Amino acid sequence: MRALVPFVIVGITTGAVYALASMGLVLTYTTSGVFNFAHGAIGMFATFVFYQLRVAADWPTWLAVAVAVLVVAPAMGVVVDRVLLTRLQGASPATYVVVSLGLLVALQSAAVAIFGGETRQVAAIFPTRGFEVSGVRVGYDQTIVVAIAVVAGLALAAFFRRTHLGLATRAVVGDRDLTELVGTDARAVTTFSWVLGSAFAALSGVLFAPVVGLDAVLLTLLVLQAFGAAVVGRLRSLPLTNLGAYGIAIVAAISTKYVATNRALIGLPSAMPFIALFLVLVVSPKGSFAAVSGEGSGRAGGGSGGGGGGRGGRRTTLPMRTLVPVVAGAAVLPAVLNGSQLLVASTAVAFVAIFASLSLLVGLSRQLSLCHAVFVVFGATTLSHLLSAGVPYVAALLLSALVLVPVGALVAIPTIRLSGLFLALGTFAFGALAQNLLYNNSFAFGRDAQVNLARPSLFAGDTAFYYFILAVVTVAVLGVELVRITRLGRILAAIGDSPAAVQSIGVSPTASRVMVFCLAAFVAGIGGGLLGSLIGSVSTLSFDFFQSLIWLTVLVTAGAATLGGSVLAALLLIAVPSVFTSPTVVQWQPVAFGVAAIVFAQSPNGIAGYLRRPDFPELARRSAWRTDRRRATERRAGAILASDGRV
Amino acid sequence: MLRLAGVRAGYRRTEVLHGVDLVVPPGAAVALLGANGAGKSTLLRVAAGLLPATGGSVWFGEERIDRLTTHQRTRRGLCLIPEGRAIFRPLTVRQNLAMQVGGKQVDDAVDRAVAAFPMLGDRLGQVAGTLSGGQQQMLAVARALVTDPALVLADELSVGLAPVVVDEIFEAVAALRAAGRSLLIVEQYVDRALAVADYVYILHKGRIAFVGEPAQCRADDVYRQYLGSVA
Repeated sequence: MRALVPFVIVGITTGAVYALASMGLVLTYTTSGVFNFAHGAIGMFATFVFYQLRVAADWPTWLAVAVAVLVVAPAMGVVVDRVLLTRLQGASPATYVVVSLGLLVALQSAAVAIFGGETRQVAAIFPTRGFEVSGVRVGYDQTIVVAIAVVAGLALAAFFRRTHLGLATRAVVGDRDLTELVGTDARAVTTFSWVLGSAFAALSGVLFAPVVGLDAVLLTLLVLQAFGAAVVGRLRSLPLTNLGAYGIAIVAAISTKYVATNRALIGLPSAMPFIALFLVLVVSPKGSFAAVSGEGSGRAGGGSGGGGGGRGGRRTTLPMRTLVPVVAGAAVLPAVLNGSQLLVASTAVAFVAIFASLSLLVGLSRQLSLCHAVFVVFGATTLSHLLSAGVPYVAALLLSALVLVPVGALVAIPTIRLSGLFLALGTFAFGALAQNLLYNNSFAFGRDAQVNLARPSLFAGDTAFYYFILAVVTVAVLGVELVRITRLGRILAAIGDSPAAVQSIGVSPTASRVMVFCLAAFVAGIGGGLLGSLIGSVSTLSFDFFQSLIWLTVLVTAGAATLGGSVLAALLLIAVPSVFTSPTVVQWQPVAFGVAAIVFAQSPNGIAGYLRRPDFPELARRSAWRTDRRRATERRAGAILASDGRV
Repeated sequence: MLRLAGVRAGYRRTEVLHGVDLVVPPGAAVALLGANGAGKSTLLRVAAGLLPATGGSVWFGEERIDRLTTHQRTRRGLCLIPEGRAIFRPLTVRQNLAMQVGGKQVDDAVDRAVAAFPMLGDRLGQVAGTLSGGQQQMLAVARALVTDPALVLADELSVGLAPVVVDEIFEAVAALRAAGRSLLIVEQYVDRALAVADYVYILHKGRIAFVGEPAQCRADDVYRQYLGSVA
């Protein structure tokens, strides 16, 4: 027992930081109805500013902390609220998730582009000397961090209980219009809650940086671990959130003691918050996670249901007018491309399948999958294992994708009965969990952190394999498009609009949703297998779960509702970067995706929705009119000439 | 007190109000009648600032208010009780009253609300969403009583309520009238509205079709034309 005490102390310190971060998260969620996936990214960005001020500008530590926490982070909160969220009033929860994911991707990529991707050491903020409690050394810094978290928590509780502004923040999220009607400035209240929440994010980032170092990716994700604690608190209760934060951190710290001897569990401690997140979502009774957003916005403007509304006209036929020209165009590409360009083209075609599968979820049934990279990775690793076992290629490809069907169900079933936001959270947790816990196992990458994949022997050459990919992807895309135009597709679209209405006609929304998740996993798995064979090997680093988030932003930008959007998304993600190869462009590209996702979050079909197919009959009519007019002019001119100018 | 001049408004591309002129004189009660979809609620929402006017102007006293936000209009003494239960469901009754008065003199507000609706007195600590429909509406109407507004806009106060409760609600409306407040009432019980009103406006397909006194309005042809054969 005694041996555990140091781990508990480490756990409490970490828990204090989690608590700060998750309280900020709960604060913005309960007061604005927006679950801020970018919460960690805001904290990370403010921490970078703190570091720059302290190290580069040589400011005193306390001043740098104060500016980062009390000026920079609140300013970011104001910008998020006033610039990004105001125009989203009354949008669907999925739209808000996309916007905050776009912000996460943009901020994190911007931090890497500006400050560089390497991890910096951050000197301690508080004295690191310590004292002994029954033989165990406790640092002053640890004590101070815990004290700050406790004081901040108590202050927040007092703010909600005792002040009128605290009451107003709760009123705003309940009913925005009514808050205005009783004479309270609802916008100011929401902005204030973003200011407060962002300050909490920054505080947790600054306090955590000396422990883990300053790293754009690491710090964003560490604060993301606060999600687990926030969900323990049902995204509402601050005391439970605190309890969750300390509980998760202590269990994680203690588990480090035991996993040191077991290779397979090496990722367990860092996965603990996500395990908690996933478990809480899975075991929660239905209804315990009713989203706070939407309750109040329903009244306004007769339900101007933002992103959920028009998804373009519903098609009843396959989109042959897109499919045929695209496939035909793709088929002639090998004739004009050189070797490396052909490789890019092959990758892009494989990604069309991945994006098409994602668009089934995001575009058709408004379900956000944040673990698509997992499907792709498992598709590739399973294919590799099957091929090593001597299974013929096409059979292995289908089998590996089939294996993903239960995986899709595993992700979908527990979380799908909750609302859109919690499905996003559940898939997010699964993505992180899979990467931390499952990738190292022998059924995935195993010890080498890499698997090799062969190509089918008949299509081993680059050009031949390109056509193989094109054929398989065309079939897969046709399958996806078939779903769109069949009854299942109509049901899914209807679920996106009103689950209750679907139930009332005797269809189970859950069954349909799970089915489409399985199908999406299947198609994504095929895409993963093809990509793996194309490159020849896939490693744990090829598709980290951040990729899932980027894919989502790219798809939303390009257009999630149609095949054209999926093709455009693949071009944006794969082909464009291969044209612009300067390091600056490559670095800023994800920033652009993030920002674009924010811009297009409310457009039903992204950029593709704005692209109009030329109306050939109309063009023909116009040119015919021009020809007629020209002829008429010529006739008149001829007449004038013939009459010698005497008109 | 309130004057709408040539007000146009709508949702997205659908225009609902096609240039409406309406006046609520100081201290007068005006009933706004019309069939479903005529634009009554839209008109109230425009007056309160929940929906922007796309044309025309809105005046409150001497001040033009159509560019002000909703809470600014409320602070100037305009009080809209929207259709449905205009309460904060997750908050307690007491907290609701505190929000209504902006956190100042909450005890006084509670006393006045309980004086008007004694039923609320036992339930101050109860979460408002768990009240009965009638009690919720009383809590909503209490706002007009505890905040001393110059003008009360009431949208379908009687919807979904038992007749006994409607009586109680309309007693409160009568009290408001006795206290000299200006009233603009949208109501499905035409007779109840006519009983309180000094003037009647009938809105028909987004335009004012009739202005007059209740007695004129009771004339058969007006009734038949715009309100169905209720009488």
